[in-house]
Amino acid sequence: MLVIVLENAPPRLRGRMAMWLLEIRAGVYVGNYSRKVREMLWRHVEVGLEDEEGNAVMAWKANNEAGFDFMTLGKNRRIPKEVDGAKLISFLPVDNAPDEAL
Amino acid sequence: MNPLLPDIAPIPIKERLSLLFVERCHVDVVDGAFVMIDKDGVRTHVPLGGIACLMLEPGVRISHRAVHLAATTGTLLVWVGEAGVRLYSAGQPGGARSDKLLYQAKLALSEQGRLKVVREMYRRRFQEEPPANRSVAQLRGIEGSRVKKSYELLAKQYGVTWRGRRYDADSWDHSDLPNQCISAATSCLYGVCEAAILAAGYAPAIGFIHHGKPLSFVYDIADVYKFDSVVPLAFKIAAQSPTHPDRAVRIACRDLFRERHLLSKIIPDIEEILAVGGEEPPKPPEDGVAPAIPNKQGIGDVGHRT
Repeated sequence: MLVIVLENAPPRLRGRMAMWLLEIRAGVYVGNYSRKVREMLWRHVEVGLEDEEGNAVMAWKANNEAGFDFMTLGKNRRIPKEVDGAKLISFLPVDNAPDEAL
Repeated sequence: MNPLLPDIAPIPIKERLSLLFVERCHVDVVDGAFVMIDKDGVRTHVPLGGIACLMLEPGVRISHRAVHLAATTGTLLVWVGEAGVRLYSAGQPGGARSDKLLYQAKLALSEQGRLKVVREMYRRRFQEEPPANRSVAQLRGIEGSRVKKSYELLAKQYGVTWRGRRYDADSWDHSDLPNQCISAATSCLYGVCEAAILAAGYAPAIGFIHHGKPLSFVYDIADVYKFDSVVPLAFKIAAQSPTHPDRAVRIACRDLFRERHLLSKIIPDIEEILAVGGEEPPKPPEDGVAPAIPNKQGIGDVGHRT
């Protein structure tokens, strides 16, 4: 199982993802492929988002404690954070938020 | 200037969905993706790269770019008539690997090699050693009577009236229900086998038991699986007399292919069957000219063009 979520991606990258994956919601792609195909898909994402504002995340079934792994690309308020070997997500505050709001 | 996306290249057959049928729509490319558009303008994306064999039914118009895209992803396009009977195929050209073709031809031309391959096909098919010291013609005779019997046996088992395997490719409706179901089921199997043979780099026309047809080798390989997979399934569906037999057969075939892991088995099986022939794959001629520009290394199967 493999999920890729694209935000703010150019149409040609979205079209490219639809070559192998199913777009179940805007920018949300699912499929079931091996590591090699996953790496190939991610290369397309990397190139497709180069010089673009967009961002992407890919999650897949993996043989680890969580049962899945993920990787991200581009700017997003949610960033991966490692805690004692487990991968979690940190949610960053909005850049221009006033200090007292925190 | 935006950088170009990496080239599209085929992925292995074993990772793909076996079959998808497309009917009554316009097939085109939108934003680089394969899209079917129906009469109301509704767009449905098809993950073409993740499909082994796309069956185009009557009423489909397909654009030049869409066919080109299918060739790039190594997806076999099969134009089918009513109820999935095959008409024409394209999109995944074979013959990309001369070493594979020469190996297959060498086996087919060698009397001993061919007999060994044929015996191995029968051994796999009937799960027993074929009688010793028989020629290919004798083995075919034995096979013919066994096939006839297994049709009768299956008909009895599923309580279906059986008057022999009769079909007319030109008029689907004239054959009886069990025959219609068998035709629909075998054409599904042939589609998958053809896609696998091409992806493995072999020629569909060079058969060992069958000969003289563009798909002789496809029939050879399909026969290895046919009688313990799609034929019983066709009888089972015929016994239920569904409203849309071809649709019921298709769905059941896809489930069966997935359950049996047919797409991961088929290419290794082809290699094993041919290996029994005992011929060495031919070596490239020493005085030949090797490619000036090395071939790109893809992640697809060996017969895929990258």
